Amino acid sequence: MSNTQYSGVKVKRFSMGFVIAHAVNAISFFALYITALPMYTEWFDWLYPVLGGPEGARLLHRIFAIAFVTPTFIWLIMDPKGFLRWGKELVTWKKRDIQFFTEFVKELFGFKFKHVKQTFFNAGEKINSLIQIATAILIIGSGFPMWFPDLFPKAVVQWAYVAHNVGFGLAIAVVVGHIYLSVIHKNSRPGYTGVITGDVPAEWAKDHYTEWYEEEVEKGNFPDLDKNKNKKKGA
Amino acid sequence: MAEYIKYVDVTKCDGCRACMVACKNWNDLPAEPEEFQGSVQSHANVTANTWNVLSFIEHEDSKGNLDYLFRHSSCFHCTDAACVKVCPEEAMHYTDFGSVNVDSDKCVGCGYCVQNCPFDVVQLATYKDKNGKEYKKAQKCTMCVDRLEEGMQPACVTTCHTDAMEFGTQEEMLKKAKKRLSEIKDKYPNAMIYNPEGVGGTHTIYVLAEKPSVYGLPEKPKVPTSAVVWKDYAQPIGKMMLGATSMALVGAFVSNKLFNKEGKGHEEDGGGSHE
Repeated sequence: MSNTQYSGVKVKRFSMGFVIAHAVNAISFFALYITALPMYTEWFDWLYPVLGGPEGARLLHRIFAIAFVTPTFIWLIMDPKGFLRWGKELVTWKKRDIQFFTEFVKELFGFKFKHVKQTFFNAGEKINSLIQIATAILIIGSGFPMWFPDLFPKAVVQWAYVAHNVGFGLAIAVVVGHIYLSVIHKNSRPGYTGVITGDVPAEWAKDHYTEWYEEEVEKGNFPDLDKNKNKKKGA
Repeated sequence: MAEYIKYVDVTKCDGCRACMVACKNWNDLPAEPEEFQGSVQSHANVTANTWNVLSFIEHEDSKGNLDYLFRHSSCFHCTDAACVKVCPEEAMHYTDFGSVNVDSDKCVGCGYCVQNCPFDVVQLATYKDKNGKEYKKAQKCTMCVDRLEEGMQPACVTTCHTDAMEFGTQEEMLKKAKKRLSEIKDKYPNAMIYNPEGVGGTHTIYVLAEKPSVYGLPEKPKVPTSAVVWKDYAQPIGKMMLGATSMALVGAFVSNKLFNKEGKGHEEDGGGSHE
């Protein structure tokens, strides 16, 4: 890990509400993915005995489906301010968000790149959030007619299978990228520990989310790294 | 192997229901006592344990006369079967005779076939294993494939005493249907051969005395568009997308190893460089 290169100063990035909601979302998403895999493709039929047969897989899929619906409410109840900021940032798009992507492609493939000032959520995270929201609506919305086909017209149930598939296909493609960035890609990795502990290295936060960091410094919540640096130089 | 068709001439049927009994008997299907349906008809529709139901329809013809119509109903064994298309386990399959069957060992009881059959023929049967655990399997008419394999005819066909049902090669049965249609057109001006194109034709074809809707049949059944979008487009594209993102990230990982050996990469707008 690259943490050793940081000064060791940590700042609070994620609230407990976010950490729990994110964990429930991640765990239930993967549990849903695994319990559905043998139904999606025959390559994974060997999972049936592991999951307690088709009936066991189906039961687990439904239990985790309920868990998958809860993160929004967990975050909203435990950290309404953070949740609202997320909502607000998702609908706010500026020039810097577009610039972010040109630099991000360089960063992703390991080339030299420039940090474009970002707020709490960078443009990539915003796109990830928007796609995940859209796919969650598709997946959850279509899950109901699939679970309770008797309550819906036949055509709705038939199209629900399509929506469930499209939602899942999009979600998994985005999730693969999301996980790669958090766990493998060096520059983003501190975000991974951050989403588990809530804290991230101050320097990393300042680099990646400069606008947000500076706002918090102004409020007196975070240390002013530039000031500290100047002090060190002067001493 | 030549494809085989069950040909049903409803105008010859006298509603004796021997086909229902023969089907239950040969396939060892449990009795399903039903509430009174309001007519002589015993079951509202075919079910997972009643693969063959005789419908009784009281119909007022164009001249205002009452006509009592009968129809032997069971699986249509579509040439382009929606159940086969949507089955995730390849449990629904085509037999050598062209009919459609369920492989019970492969069926996981997901019910996708039930939701997508344009004729509402497939149903899930509930069973209990020796530990008392319940499980489901799709069930429907098998066209008595076990009899066909032995050179016999479907049980319903064999037992039909009015010859309303016959079983033979596709060509022979279609010829028979056309001939019969021309014979009954005077008596039944709305008569038609029911062998819907939307499902590629079926392996149970009917000569109907009236329009399909009179018999509770869809006029133009087809493989649901949703099933085509789902299986022919959404699923393959989904698999491709997962592959594509995975490959892009493998590329990103390799490229990072090649071009970003020190683990550094960004330029600061003033200030030192660090990760």
